[in-house]
Amino acid sequence: MSTERPSSRWQIMQDGKTFYTRQQLYSIPGKLPNLNDYIVAGCCYGGPIALMRDHTKLVALSRAAPATSKAQIQIYSPAGEGLLLFSWDQGKIIRFGWTADERLAILNEEGTYRLYDLQGDYQQYSLGSEAGEMGVIDARIHENGLVALTGSLLLLEVKGWEGARPLTLANPGLTQPPNSWAVIAPDVNISRHVEVLLSVESTILSVDNLESIDQRLSQGPFTHISPSPNGKSLALLTFAGTLLVVSADFQRTLAEFKTGDVVGAEGSVNQVEWCGIDAIIVTWDNLVVVVGPFGDTLEYHYSGPTFAVTEPDGVRILGPDVCDLIQKVPASSASIFRPGSTSASAILYDAWESFSQRSPKADENIRSIRPELAAAVDECIQAAGQEWEPYWQRRLLNAAKFGRGFLDLHNPTDFVNMGQTLKVLNAVRFYEIGIPLTHLQYIYASPSHLIKRLTARNMHLLALRISTFLSMKPDAVLKHWASAKILRSRPSATGTGIEADVGGDDEVCKLIVDKFEQLGGADVSYAEIAKRAWEAGRGRLATKLLDHEPRAADQVPLLLSMKEDRLALLKAVDSGDTDLVYHVLLHLHKRLPLGSFFRLIEDGGSQLAPASKLLQVYAREQNREMLRDFFYSDDRRVESAVLSLDEAASISDPTSKVTAVRAAQKFFSEDKDCTFESKIMDESARLLAAQQQLEKDADGKVVFFGLSVNETIRTCLVNSMSKKADKVKSDFKVPDKRFWYVKLEALISTSDLESLDAFSKSKRSPIGYEPFVRQLVEAGHSKEALAYVVRCDPPKRADLYVECGEWRMAGKECKERGDKAKLEAIRQKCPNSLIAREFDQILGSMK
Amino acid sequence: MATSSTTVSDDAHIQTEEPLLDVTLLKEIARKSLVDALNSVNGAKTLVLDPTLAGPLGLVTEVSLLKHHGVDKMFWLEPGPLSSTTTNIVYLCRPMIKYVKIIADQIKRHGKDSQQHTYTIFLVPRISTLVSRILEEEGVLGDVRISSYNLQFIPIADDVVSLENDSAFKEIWVDGDETAIYDSAQALLTLEKLYGLFPRIVGKGDHAARLTTLLTRHLPTDSSTPDTLLSPSEKIDSLIVLDRRVDMITPLLTQLTYEGLTDELLGIKNSQVELPVSLLTPPAPPAAASTSTSAPPPPAAATPSLKKVEAKKKHHLTTSTDPLFAELRDLNFSYVGRRLNKLARRLEEDYKGRHQAKTVAQLRDFVGKLGGLQTEHQSLRFHTGLSELLVPLTRTEQFNKTLEIQQNLLASYEITSQLTAIEDLIAQGADMSTVVRLLCLASITSGGIKVKTLENLKREILQAYGYDYLPLLLSLSAPPLSVILPNPLPPALAAAPKYPFAGLRKSLRLLIDDTPEAIDEVENDISFVYSGYAPISVRLVQCVAQKGGVLSNPAEKEKEKDKDKDKGAPKAQAHPIAGWRGFEDVLATIPGETVDVVQKGNGGGAAAAPVASLLRPMQKPTTTVVFFLGGCTYTEIAALRWVGRQNRGRKFLIATTGIVSGNSIVESIAGGYGVGKKKDGSKDAAI
Repeated sequence: MSTERPSSRWQIMQDGKTFYTRQQLYSIPGKLPNLNDYIVAGCCYGGPIALMRDHTKLVALSRAAPATSKAQIQIYSPAGEGLLLFSWDQGKIIRFGWTADERLAILNEEGTYRLYDLQGDYQQYSLGSEAGEMGVIDARIHENGLVALTGSLLLLEVKGWEGARPLTLANPGLTQPPNSWAVIAPDVNISRHVEVLLSVESTILSVDNLESIDQRLSQGPFTHISPSPNGKSLALLTFAGTLLVVSADFQRTLAEFKTGDVVGAEGSVNQVEWCGIDAIIVTWDNLVVVVGPFGDTLEYHYSGPTFAVTEPDGVRILGPDVCDLIQKVPASSASIFRPGSTSASAILYDAWESFSQRSPKADENIRSIRPELAAAVDECIQAAGQEWEPYWQRRLLNAAKFGRGFLDLHNPTDFVNMGQTLKVLNAVRFYEIGIPLTHLQYIYASPSHLIKRLTARNMHLLALRISTFLSMKPDAVLKHWASAKILRSRPSATGTGIEADVGGDDEVCKLIVDKFEQLGGADVSYAEIAKRAWEAGRGRLATKLLDHEPRAADQVPLLLSMKEDRLALLKAVDSGDTDLVYHVLLHLHKRLPLGSFFRLIEDGGSQLAPASKLLQVYAREQNREMLRDFFYSDDRRVESAVLSLDEAASISDPTSKVTAVRAAQKFFSEDKDCTFESKIMDESARLLAAQQQLEKDADGKVVFFGLSVNETIRTCLVNSMSKKADKVKSDFKVPDKRFWYVKLEALISTSDLESLDAFSKSKRSPIGYEPFVRQLVEAGHSKEALAYVVRCDPPKRADLYVECGEWRMAGKECKERGDKAKLEAIRQKCPNSLIAREFDQILGSMK
Repeated sequence: MATSSTTVSDDAHIQTEEPLLDVTLLKEIARKSLVDALNSVNGAKTLVLDPTLAGPLGLVTEVSLLKHHGVDKMFWLEPGPLSSTTTNIVYLCRPMIKYVKIIADQIKRHGKDSQQHTYTIFLVPRISTLVSRILEEEGVLGDVRISSYNLQFIPIADDVVSLENDSAFKEIWVDGDETAIYDSAQALLTLEKLYGLFPRIVGKGDHAARLTTLLTRHLPTDSSTPDTLLSPSEKIDSLIVLDRRVDMITPLLTQLTYEGLTDELLGIKNSQVELPVSLLTPPAPPAAASTSTSAPPPPAAATPSLKKVEAKKKHHLTTSTDPLFAELRDLNFSYVGRRLNKLARRLEEDYKGRHQAKTVAQLRDFVGKLGGLQTEHQSLRFHTGLSELLVPLTRTEQFNKTLEIQQNLLASYEITSQLTAIEDLIAQGADMSTVVRLLCLASITSGGIKVKTLENLKREILQAYGYDYLPLLLSLSAPPLSVILPNPLPPALAAAPKYPFAGLRKSLRLLIDDTPEAIDEVENDISFVYSGYAPISVRLVQCVAQKGGVLSNPAEKEKEKDKDKDKGAPKAQAHPIAGWRGFEDVLATIPGETVDVVQKGNGGGAAAAPVASLLRPMQKPTTTVVFFLGGCTYTEIAALRWVGRQNRGRKFLIATTGIVSGNSIVESIAGGYGVGKKKDGSKDAAI
């Protein structure tokens, strides 16, 4: 335990203000192979590193490990512990890198990529056939996706790690592979879409999915391009060894630095990485140089080749013997420990030291910073978070606690949280765990992320303890634990019999369920665990676990893959989620023979009725043939008939339309409850036939086909085929009333008033004569309408006269009938005073 | 000033002091997720829009917002080729098979012409397996990205939120497709996420029960569950779910409120009504010229490129820009003329105020009011014009005959002669939907029509309007709808319980004596919306939320008197929700399940919460959410608003799958046969 002041490890930049510190995280002598012989990828947030032998470098065969031709990937924790080792049997690996959730993405030249978790399980995806044919020559992998450069020098982007379809970015028009390139991840780019930077000749092309822009630089070509962690600046290294720092939009050059001037730099630059957001480190084989924002430098020497991993707040250096964190000294620490600091927090710390040494200076100190005490306490708490050694963490927290005692009111939340957080951090920093998270990284990545990383390392107990300690739900841990449990508890070799197997399933299921209930993780999704069990070939266990799953949407897909068709359909229907029902239906339709598919649905009875209905909705639009079979197999006459009618409505060809209607009629006739419908359909078919005949009679000049009975009659009348109209009337037993209305309207619409007159006298109107008057008036034949008024019922005549605009006649009518009330009512509506006066006269005369 | 207008302003006052749930939040959510969806596609894009979504979208966003987020051009999703100048093509549609086929066709065409496009489909409200399956069958699944735009409740008024799903009724009761129920449950869940669990859910109807099950099903809570889902809401005291099947009568009747009648006669779609342009563009008076330059009249500017220069334009009926509409929309139409008259006179008085303005300060006050006056003036002119448009339509013989038949059927008066009258209407060539509505009404109110008569009527309908309507009639007679039934029932259907209209008429006091003063002077019962008939649905809501209102209303008259004397007289305090208590027997007679569930939540205060709700100070205002599964009518909204005004301390939030009317229901079931496909020529006018 180091008790020397933290500032003793600090180094000062030339500007005299900024301090950098190199914190040794782990001492790892001899744990890692010589990094120079390997291709390395590091995972940020204190994650592991992956190594693969670099076949372009000569290796002494005398090494202990036998040289295999197969590619082998080794994964080490930052503390140098080997986490995983596996060999690669696919095509040549182009690149590998880490995802945000600490999985290793490995891409090969055939465009296939796999995502390995730390247990060696993987998912495999592909960049598609095009990439496969062209081959992939390079790629950049960032936390949430990758960009691949194909053999035809096109860029393919994959968003996320769910096997999304690759998108082709704008064509940069390359003729040869770029000198170097980099991507700015979507989450830090201003457009929220990925941007690719390609060093071509002396300039840089920036490419996104829309366009490729030449940034018109002249300093290139560049050997290294490195975007800063926040995506706002870029570090570029030219062949000549000049390090340029420019803003991401290439508008401003922020700094320029000649790496050739560094004393002791030998050979070529290995890496250009960012240290925080304002400093850059450049690494050579034995040397690491920190370049500050104003070209100031700090040098750190190592005994062998190193590898640097950029972190949000610094850079992690893996050397042959040590794993270091180089970072700018955080403001809070600097304020307290900077030599000669007189800030309030420094004085507070000093006061606490005096206090613990029982020196009266403590009181004096505290008095002097009284106004700033609260801020000083906060700063001490923060500074505690920056310290690696529990010794200093404790001292700083003690100082904060001491200061708090002098404050009347101070919210203790920060203090408590910091204490908790430091406990967690110290636990995971322990070399056996090997996750060297800084406080800031922990805040960035969130506690749940940390839990996930622990479970990924199968450290369930620690994860569970931590989540309990932080009062988080234990679900995630339990879920992972259960999956691991299932995988580990394969039916033992001794229990070969079925009974032993069954016992195992019950036992494991009970174990898992009990554990969940005991730890209050009853809300864990059992489906995922069941899926694991299914994948592990333990169907019975999967079914058992699935019974505990409340979410149908999660149950159903697994049930389907387990071929529990009926159960899957039932669960889907039960969930009320129609989309889920469709999912099952479509899946089953594809897999089962049609007959058994139908039988499954029909046998379901009322329970599966919604599914049956949905199938009909789908089939009506997309697969009528199937629907017809479905109705037929289920003896659904009415539905078959309606379907047939539905088709008839959309057919324009006369013959097939009649056929369709006839077919409908036949279906109806087969159902004894549908005699009426059958008759109607017969009528319909007859009408269609009659219409065809009518069209022939009219020499095809008039369209009859498809009209209703009323319209047929009307069309006949309008085209002066009144005999035919009468025939239609009698053939289809059209009631007089309706016929009269239709004819009345037809005659008025053609202004055939003579025929109308004849028609009205043909016999006593079954609809009265009011409609005659009204319709004539509406059509503007008020004069002609008058003739019909006298034929109406006497009481209505006055009003009808008014409608015809004949006020005087109305008045006369009222007078004749002695209807005074009516007269007065009409008087109210008089259009002008002349008529009003006449009415008054009549009124007077009626007294 | 007249008493009536004071009561209205009184009500307005009360509404402001007891604010409802802030439903504009929902609009913001809808807007934001649209913006997020659009932004997920980089660069300029062509938006291809499902025409049925245009209306709903218009309620949450405007064209400028879309343009602002990279939408270059917009097209309707219609069969035929699509020419786009941008690489990105974004489809926004409901997951309907016909749309997917159109999309697949357009993509294939582009493929043939070797045009390179990036396709994104946003499905409303969620991703559907069906869509990806059909795209797969059409062989274009690989070319598109499918995502979702979760459009749920859209506020169409301060107290009404709607899913604006026009076909929900048909889907549920004709196709048996329960998607609408699931979507409703999801939307209600969103409400719960915002405001907390509904402490109590009461409902009626089989599908209402289904919805309740979906809503209350215990799902595991994980870290993403918001706290609001763990405990009962403070602001909402209950959810009342009614499925449309419980009350089929109401939508079949002709709505007689101002807004309802406008819907019946002119048709309101997504709060928009098509009106002659002359009515909408004010004859710019010289005085207002200065204001009109600052705000150029949008109609002329927005639609210059239209193919059809039709003298009709959509008008958005909303209270936010139209101050008078709030006063008018729920009035019985017979009362609207008088109210307009009164308003005109008041406005004139206000204008006259300028003559009294003597000092500069007074003048400044007047000028300050001038803007408001002009808005009112404009909206007064608009409503006068609109009611002038409606009046002649209400004077026709058919309209009045229809009303007469309706009233007689409701009173079960001489049913045989009503059926004859319906036959006459067919002979006269009345609208198909009018006739079908009356036929359904006759069947429901009388418990079935004699087989002979019914067959004759059906035959008349089919002959007059075309045999193509046979499927419509079959759908209406088949279960679960069964709104046209023969009497006696055929043995296959005999088991189904009949709708006990005659019993309900008595027990729920559906018909009010149609003495003119009852309707005219004091609107003292919800029956004002149908001039003497109280909608069953709203009566059922009253059974839960205003039990006194179901049984009698004499107290109201007295209260009106009190109010005139002393305006500050407190209204009766709303009673707490106690489920269907007191009306169990009535409910039992209505077919369909009865629901009454108390949700306690499983949060920390599980035990404490109900106690707290009991101890809650009685004065604390709460909101009752009424959800109509399958749509509601404007009259029902009006009636519920009326109920809300009667009590202190309870407001209603009306939620629905969409606004329906008898016509829209009949037409949606009839499908493509009767309704000529309406083509909207305008590309952006709709939004």
